[in-house]
Amino acid sequence: MSLLALSDITIRYSRLTAVRNVSFSMEEGEILFITGPNGAGKSSLLRAIAGVTPVAGGRIDLAGHEITGQAPENIARLGLSMVPEGRDVFGSLTTEENLLVGTGMHARERGWRSRAADELEAVYATFPMLKERRHGQAGLLSGGQQQMLVIGRALMTNPRLVAIDEPSLGLAPNINDQVYERLIALRAQRQLTLLIVEQSSARAMMVGGRMILMRGGQIVLDGDARTLGNGEAIQAAYFGYEDH
Amino acid sequence: MLQILFDALSLGSLYALGALGIALIFGVMRLVNFAHGDVIAFCVFALLWPSTDAMAIVFAGQLPWYLLVPFVLLCGAGLSVLCEVVVFRRFRQANPATMMIASFALGFVIRYFLLMLFSSRPKSISLLPELSQPVEILGARLPLLQLITIVATMVILIGLTLFLRQTRFGLEMRAAAENFSMARMLGVRANRVIMGAFALSGALAAAIALIFGAQTGTLDIQMGASIMLMAFIATVIGGLGSLGGAVLAGFLLGAASVIMQVMLPIDARPFRDAFVYGAVILVLLFRPQGLIAARGTKERV
Amino acid sequence: MGVAASLTNSTAAGAAAAERKPARFALARRTILTPVLLSLLLLAIALITVMTGSRPFNQTVIDVFVRVILVVGLYIFIGNSGVLSFGHIGFTCLGAYAAAWLTINPMMKRGSLPGLPEWLLATRLPYWQSAVLAALFAALAALIFGRVLMRLSGIAASIATFAMLAMINTIYSNWESVTGATSSVVGIPIVRMIWPYLIGAVVAIFIAWAHAISRSGLALRAARDEPTAAAASGIDIPRERLVAFVVSGAVMGLGGALMAHSIGVVTPDTFYLGLTFITLSMLVVGGMGSLSGGVVGVVLLSALIQALRWLEAGVSLGESTFALPKGVQEIALGVIMIVILALRPSGLMGNRELTLPRSSRNK
Repeated sequence: MSLLALSDITIRYSRLTAVRNVSFSMEEGEILFITGPNGAGKSSLLRAIAGVTPVAGGRIDLAGHEITGQAPENIARLGLSMVPEGRDVFGSLTTEENLLVGTGMHARERGWRSRAADELEAVYATFPMLKERRHGQAGLLSGGQQQMLVIGRALMTNPRLVAIDEPSLGLAPNINDQVYERLIALRAQRQLTLLIVEQSSARAMMVGGRMILMRGGQIVLDGDARTLGNGEAIQAAYFGYEDH
Repeated sequence: MLQILFDALSLGSLYALGALGIALIFGVMRLVNFAHGDVIAFCVFALLWPSTDAMAIVFAGQLPWYLLVPFVLLCGAGLSVLCEVVVFRRFRQANPATMMIASFALGFVIRYFLLMLFSSRPKSISLLPELSQPVEILGARLPLLQLITIVATMVILIGLTLFLRQTRFGLEMRAAAENFSMARMLGVRANRVIMGAFALSGALAAAIALIFGAQTGTLDIQMGASIMLMAFIATVIGGLGSLGGAVLAGFLLGAASVIMQVMLPIDARPFRDAFVYGAVILVLLFRPQGLIAARGTKERV
Repeated sequence: MGVAASLTNSTAAGAAAAERKPARFALARRTILTPVLLSLLLLAIALITVMTGSRPFNQTVIDVFVRVILVVGLYIFIGNSGVLSFGHIGFTCLGAYAAAWLTINPMMKRGSLPGLPEWLLATRLPYWQSAVLAALFAALAALIFGRVLMRLSGIAASIATFAMLAMINTIYSNWESVTGATSSVVGIPIVRMIWPYLIGAVVAIFIAWAHAISRSGLALRAARDEPTAAAASGIDIPRERLVAFVVSGAVMGLGGALMAHSIGVVTPDTFYLGLTFITLSMLVVGGMGSLSGGVVGVVLLSALIQALRWLEAGVSLGESTFALPKGVQEIALGVIMIVILALRPSGLMGNRELTLPRSSRNK
């Protein structure tokens, strides 16, 4: 059974259709990039999976449960950890408080406090910089540090699927490289399942894994990032030459 | 001089508590809750047994203070949570204007419900009479009550700060106040946080009711309204959604009122509030976001 | 649908093309049906009232017409700018007291309001002249306040208007020699005919319509819907808001004057939170973004209030009399409003205007 399965998803904003009949599924342990130009519907799709944007039609399943129309907090409890576009740190909270916000959802389970403390140490081990600034206001961190923080925050709840929306947005290329280095290391270390939305497919080709290319609210290509990347098909698909 | 300071602090306490109650709800729901004043009135009348006679029949007001205080706090929290479950929950997606009017309408319902039960006649009650004796501090004779008001407000503020800073629920509430949808994506339960905010806000309303009831000795349906207008203004001046700002602005408004009362020429004193409102407009012109602009109040996606 | 859709659609183009006369005429012709229909609705109500010849009913309908003026006044600012104002009843207060100053018998005035300037003490005007002057006075006040307030937007603006209302109320409640402080100012000539109020309401409706299709009104609505785009295309938002504020202030002042003449007594608290609440509710329940919504909101909620009052007074059903306990009227009103808002958050009319089905096909 797939970890995440979308079938026939359509998303509308009043009269505008952002996503049209999209279906795909991903397996545990996979890394999947969703790429495509601005307005392709990538972020809408991600927000629909997280339960923040309502879907107009179709069905989404996560870890064997239907989550269509569920509240975001319930989807999070099923193991989805979302890193939205623009990073969304809680600026007035400290770095450590940011990391701890999500741990409360396991409060019903025994020993959640010690597990949260372990997770905190693990995140600090991966991002030592966060430990240095643990009691500082998160809003004062730099863009790259905030990106590390939200990735760390997403890991705190020991999720089954981490979804990241445009991690490169607004970051300098070298910082962006660092972010990806950590992500790849984390993935190897924890067998993370990653769903990443990026505008450019270059990063996907570099990292490898599976890639879905969207345009105009639909999937135009789906396959291995490296093989797709080498063909001319991707350029055609990205810019939409096949229409002419 | 000391008298002025204490007057300012005790008036500011009421405004600050009121503003805090509004700011808490605004933080998680972007709702400017006009029913808050009527929750205060409800708590005030919870001290009495329903009757339209001129003579007040004291009900909860007779209880010893250690029962009275929790009882009234519970009344406030309960009514406030009831408002959210019955009414405001249906307005989560509505625009702010619609929500404001709905809260206005709800306040109207509560007010007329109280009028039906108690009539519009002000009623006198001696609530905790032992508190009205004066005490002498540094050569100034101050009503004990004023002192207790200030101390109680400080205790409430410190308690609330500790609650928000040290507990898991407090952390979730602060996160939700700053970015509601992100907090939900991290598993924070929306309904619980909002109900928690309403409960706290209702308890704060009850605290105002107790202080006010003890201070004035008369219970009047209008009592909530007069404080609330200033409290709203304090919330906005403080930076909507910023709890610290609300408290600060509440005390500032209290201080401004008391200082103007003293400084203005005798002829102008009846117009004191007009000067305070004028000052409010000036502050807003220079800082439309409020003294302490809250982050993430721009829009909730 | 017709008018509202065409109005909004034409805002962006309209603001730019408004200089051209033919476009303006076309817009006026396309939208004039709304104020005409609303006026006919009010005229029908007035005619029915006159035919029944009942005194209490006459007074009720006069109240309705006064509220139509006030709610239309609110619409001019709130509906077009999208900024919620809690302060407009302050202008009503100014208008009502101005009418009182201008129409009370000088002998009485000298006794009750000795602080008025000599020329005002000696003046005594007919009610319709006082109403016009009251509207101008309120407009002047709106201009002064607006110069300051219109620089704000959003909730800060709303609260600032609230502060303005509280300021006006504090002054009028305390200025003993000029406003009689909290005691009632009596002796305002009462006008019991229904026609002046009907004319006032119709005038208000046409002012609102004319403002809505004026260049300023179009620009303001464009700014309400697309603030960034509007500012980028050179619309001076504070200025257009100020225009709407002053026009609506004048209408509120007119309403205040007529209200004073309908009841004959004014106190500051008549024009405070209660009236603010009821008029705003009528606008929001009817639909904030629509002129028809305002008028329909007044008529429906007034009818509802009246029906509940009758029930409170007692209705005989055969042998037995059935009466609601006191206070139920207000409670029921509040509950019904909450239900309407929950079901239709943008009001009964939404953003649509009342018009004949024909005109939407013409579009």
